Amino acid sequence: MELLEGEEELIHSEVDSIFQEFTPERENLIPVLQETQKRLKYLPKLAMQKIAEKIGIPEVDVYSVATFYNQFRLYPPGKNQIKVCMGTACHMMGGHIILESFERRLGIKEGETTPDREFSLERVACVGCCALAPVVVVNDKVEPKVSPIRVDGILLSYEIEKKLEEKEKDAEEEGKSQ
Amino acid sequence: MSVTRSEVAKAYEKLQTQAKKKVESLKEKPLVTVGTATCGRASGALEIFNLFQEEIKKNGLDVNVMEVGCMGHCYAEPLVTIYKPGFPSLCYGSVDEGKAQRLINDYLINDDPCFEFAMAALEPNDFFPTFADYPRGVYEYKIVMELCGLINPEDIDHYIAHDGYAALVKVLNMDPDDVIEEIKNSKLRGRGGAGFPTGIKWELCRKAPGSPKYVICNADEGDPGAFMDRALLESNPHQMLEGLIIAAYAVGASQGYIYVRAEYPLAVTRLQTALDQARSKGLLGDSILGSDFSFDVKIFQGSGAFVCGEETALIASIEGKPGIPSHRPPYPATQGLHGKPTLINNVKTLSYVPHIIRKGAEWFKSIGTPESPGTAVFALAGKVKNTGLAEVPMGTTIRDLIFYVGDGIRDEKKFKAVQIGGPSGGCLPESALDLPIDFDSLQEAGAMMGSGGLVVLDEDDCMVEIARFFLDFTQKESCGKCTFCRLGTKQMLEILTDITKGKGNPEDIDLLWELAEDVKAGSLCGLGKTAPNPVLTTIRYFRDEYEAHVNEGRCPALMCKDLIMYYIIPEKCSKLCDVCIGSCPTEAIYTRPDMLKAIDQEKCVKCNSCLVACPPQYKAVIKISPPRPVEEGEMKQDE
Amino acid sequence: MSKEVKIIIDGKEIKAREGEKLLWVALDNGIYIPHLCAKRDAEKPDASCRLCFVEVEGMPNPVTSCTLPVKDGMVVRTRTPRVDRLVSTAFELLLSNHRLGCGKCPKNRSCELQTIAKERGLKLKLTRLRPLERDLPVDDSPQGFIYDPSRCVLCGQCVWVCHNKVGVGAIGFVRRGIERKMATFGEVPLAESRCTQCGECVEVCPVGALTKKEEDEKQAESA
Repeated sequence: MELLEGEEELIHSEVDSIFQEFTPERENLIPVLQETQKRLKYLPKLAMQKIAEKIGIPEVDVYSVATFYNQFRLYPPGKNQIKVCMGTACHMMGGHIILESFERRLGIKEGETTPDREFSLERVACVGCCALAPVVVVNDKVEPKVSPIRVDGILLSYEIEKKLEEKEKDAEEEGKSQ
Repeated sequence: MSVTRSEVAKAYEKLQTQAKKKVESLKEKPLVTVGTATCGRASGALEIFNLFQEEIKKNGLDVNVMEVGCMGHCYAEPLVTIYKPGFPSLCYGSVDEGKAQRLINDYLINDDPCFEFAMAALEPNDFFPTFADYPRGVYEYKIVMELCGLINPEDIDHYIAHDGYAALVKVLNMDPDDVIEEIKNSKLRGRGGAGFPTGIKWELCRKAPGSPKYVICNADEGDPGAFMDRALLESNPHQMLEGLIIAAYAVGASQGYIYVRAEYPLAVTRLQTALDQARSKGLLGDSILGSDFSFDVKIFQGSGAFVCGEETALIASIEGKPGIPSHRPPYPATQGLHGKPTLINNVKTLSYVPHIIRKGAEWFKSIGTPESPGTAVFALAGKVKNTGLAEVPMGTTIRDLIFYVGDGIRDEKKFKAVQIGGPSGGCLPESALDLPIDFDSLQEAGAMMGSGGLVVLDEDDCMVEIARFFLDFTQKESCGKCTFCRLGTKQMLEILTDITKGKGNPEDIDLLWELAEDVKAGSLCGLGKTAPNPVLTTIRYFRDEYEAHVNEGRCPALMCKDLIMYYIIPEKCSKLCDVCIGSCPTEAIYTRPDMLKAIDQEKCVKCNSCLVACPPQYKAVIKISPPRPVEEGEMKQDE
Repeated sequence: MSKEVKIIIDGKEIKAREGEKLLWVALDNGIYIPHLCAKRDAEKPDASCRLCFVEVEGMPNPVTSCTLPVKDGMVVRTRTPRVDRLVSTAFELLLSNHRLGCGKCPKNRSCELQTIAKERGLKLKLTRLRPLERDLPVDDSPQGFIYDPSRCVLCGQCVWVCHNKVGVGAIGFVRRGIERKMATFGEVPLAESRCTQCGECVEVCPVGALTKKEEDEKQAESA
């Protein structure tokens, strides 16, 4: 994946500042990767290489860890992250149907991001809200008892939000130019 | 030493006096508590909490509002409790904005407690029944969940006021060997799944040479369908923490870890708060309560790998490696984190510890069964009416748990099976309903206590699909190291997938059984060794369902998508209604020339929306398995 | 030196050092036990290939011999119905994920899978299981050798030498579960990684996953 303009500098400065908080030792590898992803939204190759160098381990060891755990993402996510719970209760209450509905509606498969980078779709093992199954987590908000019809509603609310934001932005810019 | 001992007790007394004063002063005024654990939040508890705060401010009321954890009544979230001097403390379930407004106007401003919304009272009174007066209350026995939903999990004083950390004080005045003796004597068994005696594990770790020693709380609750550890951590984090400190004292550890899933952000935050507050009160850190015992705890966030519930994988993960299990022995108790003796206990196991120390091993053994004393915490989910957490004495039958505590099956459906223990557990049929729940009985039946997920399945659930679902999970979560788990579970999944698609062969069922046995016997770690359980139990108890799929291409539960079709019975459909058309996401439903509706099978994605949407007076949409052409009028005689 | 003990393997009395792993004791005494992942010098056994099962008197279930320290008086049997069943399933599982076709493989006649098949009378084809072959691209970027991941059995010999003998650390196991494979950082071709192309990994590969280019060419000519 190509880095965006200024991203390289950002990666350097963020990783450097993360190592102000963590000592460069193997035990801190996972916390460091978590913090890196928190700040950069994903784990760019450059960041992993830099972390390997700081801790003094082969870069492939960092890659092994990054590709082992579900939490880590090697590609930038969408602005809104949709996580469909695939725990037992959610599955029995139709979680897979909900996942399919999102896939159909967004035109992407699980694990992918829409071309405009607005939405990304993932499955999660269980968010521990089994009593409210089927559950979808959008960003950090838990949506309980989702039905295929509510999928449209959920997406719509984020699309409307985006339009409103754009309008506001336009208005602001207009205001500025005046 | 004797000086230090009394110093410890004195230091605690001071803390507790302050804490009690603070907590009692809360109830001098009316107090509103809102359950804001993750399950409550998902139902809008934070909005209700904010509403109470705003309205109370707007109306100038002298009322306290407080966030609490989860009482376990997930089906009734958001849950609000109101304490008002002169009235019984009442719990209100499913509180929405309307009910909240009524409670504010009628109860807080005026004096009408809105009995019509109330679920139960917290203590016996002359006006309203308590939780103990319901069937659920008769079976429940709360130990680790006792304070959940009643105290503020973000304020250590609430825990201390309820004798929190008193067990630690007692322990600091004891010899570590005596502490271990007490736990051994209580016959407490690890609640993480397999039920290994906790005291023996502690003793092994204490006796193992090497230093420093570590204690780890395993809060990597990854079973899909289990959420009791999350609830405990979000509702009463100090209870587990006290247990962890006691464990550290007993085995001689100076550093502890809490390995908690990063997917539980609220639990992580509340744990962090708990650690900070414990440190500031001198209950954690250097020379705890002025004694010569020092111990501190770090939170380690698990990055989402079910296999990290396996002790050796969890350790690898803390060491900064992929969570890949290694061969045992050596066991972590002798060679664990960084090769040092390491004690790993589950959240629930540690949460029992303070109670056992305070009330004694004999008290603990008086609850439950002789071989599995104490209680079990179950996450009831699936097709049961009252979903949520329930704590019952070990030995309670599955029937009592489902039909009394859980209030039976939803929508008047027929019970088919219960899945206990998640991906490592099994599906038990109706004939197993009278089985007492304890470690050994479940294991004998082919299931497992696991971490306590209990999913109720009804006539609409396909047992082959359930087995496929769990195997799909374990297969995805397999670390991929050993041959049996990496490839064996994949082979089994391929066979099961074929069967659910109607492509199975008659010999597949036996092959599946053989493979399941080999994966169980040959895998390296617990994940692989238990992964076949759902398959083995479903074949054992529901072989006829497998055979229907393989031999007839029929899914008896009408669940496997490739083996069913949706059909609108023309005789039941109404010309005046077109709700189904609007509900269909793929425009598969059309209006026939006679104005009745029909489904274009080519376009149908079998999402079930039309069946849900069809008004109850018509019930015209049905599922048919195996799919076949239907003659007009054929379905007339049905019902 | 630890003390000398006597154990019995398949009725034969054998002298060994206490604590030594049974697999090596057996192999050193001419008793064959199938194995792929075991590394004699490794600190901890991998125990991942699940082929070296034996039965030991007094133990309820078959155990992996690579993890079992010998004790005085131990009575071991390398062939029992239970052992044979586990080994044959593990072997067929590995084959189901391995590109078959020995005739075209440069490792033909020196492959460990062939040895196991011969020793244990197992077939080099699938009898019960479905093929789970992975269609992964072959990496022929290094000068002298080729990496064909579809033939890899994930024994970890190459990863171990690269990290522990050579000290380069160019390759490792990446991903998880069925996706697990040996690869470089970012899964780039070996020549683009920090691999020094020392070829040690090729020496230890028991199957045809890492092979010398010259062998490969020879095989192509003869085939």
